[in-house]
Amino acid sequence: MEYAEPENAEEKFVQMFAGHERELRGFVRSMGLDWNAVDDVMQMVSLVMWRKWHEFDVGSDFMLWARVITRFEVLKFRRKVARDRHVFRENVMELLAGAAEELDGSGRSEDYRNALQECIKALPERSGRLIQAAYAGDRTIREVADDVGQSATAFYKTLNRIREKLRQCVQQRLDAM
Amino acid sequence: MDNHHLNELTLAHLDGCISDSEFAELQQLLESDAAARSRYVELARLDAELRESDGAVDEPADERMSQVSNWSRMPRVAQAMVIAAAVLVLMIPAWMLVGPDRPVGNQVAATTDSPPSKPVRSIAVISAEADAVWKTSRGKRIGRGTALEPGTLTLVEGLAQVDFFSGASITLSGPAEIELRNKKLAVLHRGRVRADVPPAARGFKIETADVQLEDLGTSFGIVARDNGKSSVIVFDGEVRAIDRGGEELSLLEGDTAHLARGNASKSSSDNLGTFPDISAIIERSAGLGKSRYAQWKSAAIKRRSDSRLVAYYDFEGLDDTSRRLPNRAAVGKGSELDGGIVGARVSSGRWSEKPALDFRGEGDRVRFNIPGEFDAMTLYAWVRIDALDRGLNSLFLTDHYDPGEIHWQLSVRGALHFSTSPVGVPPAPAGLEVATNEQIQAENRRFFSDEFWNANQSGNWFLLATTVDCAKQPSVIHYINGHSVGFSGGRNMDRAIPELRIGRADLGNWTDPIWAKDIRSLNGRIDEFAIYSTALTPDEILTIYEEGRP
Repeated sequence: MEYAEPENAEEKFVQMFAGHERELRGFVRSMGLDWNAVDDVMQMVSLVMWRKWHEFDVGSDFMLWARVITRFEVLKFRRKVARDRHVFRENVMELLAGAAEELDGSGRSEDYRNALQECIKALPERSGRLIQAAYAGDRTIREVADDVGQSATAFYKTLNRIREKLRQCVQQRLDAM
Repeated sequence: MDNHHLNELTLAHLDGCISDSEFAELQQLLESDAAARSRYVELARLDAELRESDGAVDEPADERMSQVSNWSRMPRVAQAMVIAAAVLVLMIPAWMLVGPDRPVGNQVAATTDSPPSKPVRSIAVISAEADAVWKTSRGKRIGRGTALEPGTLTLVEGLAQVDFFSGASITLSGPAEIELRNKKLAVLHRGRVRADVPPAARGFKIETADVQLEDLGTSFGIVARDNGKSSVIVFDGEVRAIDRGGEELSLLEGDTAHLARGNASKSSSDNLGTFPDISAIIERSAGLGKSRYAQWKSAAIKRRSDSRLVAYYDFEGLDDTSRRLPNRAAVGKGSELDGGIVGARVSSGRWSEKPALDFRGEGDRVRFNIPGEFDAMTLYAWVRIDALDRGLNSLFLTDHYDPGEIHWQLSVRGALHFSTSPVGVPPAPAGLEVATNEQIQAENRRFFSDEFWNANQSGNWFLLATTVDCAKQPSVIHYINGHSVGFSGGRNMDRAIPELRIGRADLGNWTDPIWAKDIRSLNGRIDEFAIYSTALTPDEILTIYEEGRP
């Protein structure tokens, strides 16, 4: 087995973490946490990973190792916020984590990103602008709806329709690979 | 399941605007329905990616930098390097990165820092072979029926046909080395390949070091030589060749072209040698199959009159409407021992014309009721194992597990397993529904064969046989493909075996299991099954194998 050399351990860690952070954030999100919670958990995850970095076998699968740690941190976090509204039960989170692993395991994250980029490009211009408006910055749906000049309900309906279209498009592209 | 409603609930939760009652409903759905979980996870993933990219296309590099910079302990320089590398990979198609004399696979592996995550699903299968010799790593055995994941195939000699799950099919002539990238793309490093692409798989591509060939729905042959040059011939239809400069060249039926130093140019007379035809391979193996099938058939007809048979099922003459598996043993109880087919579908067996039963669903089985007590027995079956999904996978299990009843099955580790017990399942102690496992195992006689099966053998046919003789020691012998094998484990193997009984039993499943939720359904096919009231000799088992091997 090959372990990280002490002098470049930090560099290697930074590289691996940066390369997979997005995927890990998506993984946490898949277990049903809101974005504030995702940020909190990811902070803990990065810390725990750095502490345990010497245990990581450099030749092995980083995401496999990272998901185990992340899953554990999410459940630990859940116990703290158990009384918050709309946080799933522990067993449901476990089930979702399993489903997310299955999904992530079937393709590389670049593939997913590329597919999504293609699908966004293929959207009608208006839909593309709407998605961008909804996801750029940290504004609420209502604020964005005001900008677009629609009622929040109508905006939300349109947004959901586009997201479902994107989901289908991405899955089809991934299936075709 | 109403997908629209599920989407609404999921997105409302992800957006943080779900009501209490909707949340309860969503949570219940996610708990009970795997499809709902997949949907939730897909939408969450989409939501995450959209948020991370601000919902925009083609983010400039400095924006990507800001997204990872909340990892503030990271040195800026390292960030920039990582990001620059990532952007490079995203923008340049992998095949363009490659110089003419460097293997494509290594190059791509070297440009991505992340190790491949989790095993990828299969993309193709070896569908036919003629005298094929493969070179594989770590002694892995591959052959007809082997499912292939992305990776490099090396055919030392012979011919092989590989079917991609996109519908495209290639015939390799050894020596050849080809990398299967995905179900629509292969990279030929060297050797000779003929590709046949039905309309449904249009767009299938083969790359060489220099040129990418896109089939527009037909067939073509390509030779990649060790000097990096390659040639192509179009048998019919149209092929588009795209060279390293991005220049396209359209090749029509009968056209040949040279591909060298990144350029494709048409050539009129080029002696490319012959490209073996797929159908020739298939005819050869089918011809062989037919004669073997005939040979087996005549042996099976003789076998029917063996007076030591309790029951014999040759699975012949079945069709989609068959609900009865006839007992063909000429002596004994005749049609009283016919099996009742439940769920299992008729499909092809060791030879394409031979019927078999396909066991797939959790409910699939053949029901029997076979009376009698036996102090010796032989069970054999021709079985195609597709997967061992359960801890134990049924071949032939008596209902429940009463005294003297037999259980014949496959362990998840790929061992043949026979068991019986003089007490069966002991009475449950007060307060428990079932006896403890310790109680059950105390008297249980279990015999695990050497582990002979792993996923690489998925789709291959095996003759599985077990003989039992209460008067002998060891009382149980397992045979795989005609030869006896050792034991990899067991329990009470040297203790006396009780009188054996069958009664009500299932082929390929387990009715009335000891533990309410224990599922042992078989995932595979069976096309012959026999029960004898004696322990056949090793020579007899070998003969059954020789007369019936595919």
